[in-house]
Amino acid sequence: MKEKKLCIIVPAYNEAESIEKVINNIITNYSCYDYVIVNDGSTDNTADICRNKGYNIIDLPVNLGLTGAFQTGLKWALKQEYEYVIQLDGDGQHDPRYIEGMLELADSENLDIVIGSRFVGEKKPFSLRMFGSKIIDLIIRIKSGKRLSDPTSGMRLFNRKVVKVMSHDINMGPEPDTVAYLIKCGAKVKEYKVEMSDRETGESYLNLSNSIKYMWKMCFSILIFQNFRERKKI
Amino acid sequence: MSLILRIILIFSSVFTCVYIQRKIRKSKFKIEDSIFWICLSLVLVLVSVVPQIPSFFADLLGFESTVNFVFLLMIFLLLVKVFLLSRKVSETEDKLKQLVQEVAIGRKEKEE
Repeated sequence: MKEKKLCIIVPAYNEAESIEKVINNIITNYSCYDYVIVNDGSTDNTADICRNKGYNIIDLPVNLGLTGAFQTGLKWALKQEYEYVIQLDGDGQHDPRYIEGMLELADSENLDIVIGSRFVGEKKPFSLRMFGSKIIDLIIRIKSGKRLSDPTSGMRLFNRKVVKVMSHDINMGPEPDTVAYLIKCGAKVKEYKVEMSDRETGESYLNLSNSIKYMWKMCFSILIFQNFRERKKI
Repeated sequence: MSLILRIILIFSSVFTCVYIQRKIRKSKFKIEDSIFWICLSLVLVLVSVVPQIPSFFADLLGFESTVNFVFLLMIFLLLVKVFLLSRKVSETEDKLKQLVQEVAIGRKEKEE
């Protein structure tokens, strides 16, 4: 039996144009890792493409949102007894060649979370998006004393202990506030330098109104709600 | 606004905050959903601690007494919330319907 080390979770919502490329890359170049696509009730033919190609897919019949979709992947990985999971977006932004390094870092230093960061030891370019990222970085630093140069990066590796906590809680989306909360719970977090390409296809989820909502929720969640939340043992 | 009304408002706002805080602690409330209630409580506290604010708006809009404005404000906020909720219920019902259909079709396919 293959050792069940790492599972790549690929949440996909309407990624018909890019999913094939992303998964083919994993299958041909990184076949040492298992992967699972969680199709979040896409309205295009993402699910059909995956089935025709025989990809490993969990097909949600309705749209749950990123939190619900990612949690589905976590639950599956937990059942399959994987030691680590990593989130890899279905739009081709995240390059799987960094997985090995992230995994090694987690293994050697016994870390709970490794975040693939674009800005380790680098200055952030100035844009509205980076401004938001800076604010989140700042409030995480205020609350937990930990510096995260790229808190909004979606490329995160979690170990089994963290997955267990994340897989069923109501307020545990794969977002910076969850990372901040987990740090408070005692999770050991480090960043690993990665490069990310821009979205190749599809539309970014972050339009202006969504961005404001997102920032609002993150600030509220990290600054205020974190004080109330029960600290789970990790 | 009478003092007693202000005290009641403050009391109920604080109670709401504490209640929500406890629900969050036990992971029974989504953060997105609780933001509205916390903000509503804060507004009510503000209105009752600094009654000059509602009386300014009451004068501006031509209300005879401040308390009428406070009531209208609360009704308005609650209407907005009811509207948002009813939209959410529609969405949820539709998702439930799709899920039930999915399960039933899946079960039939298994039997065949």
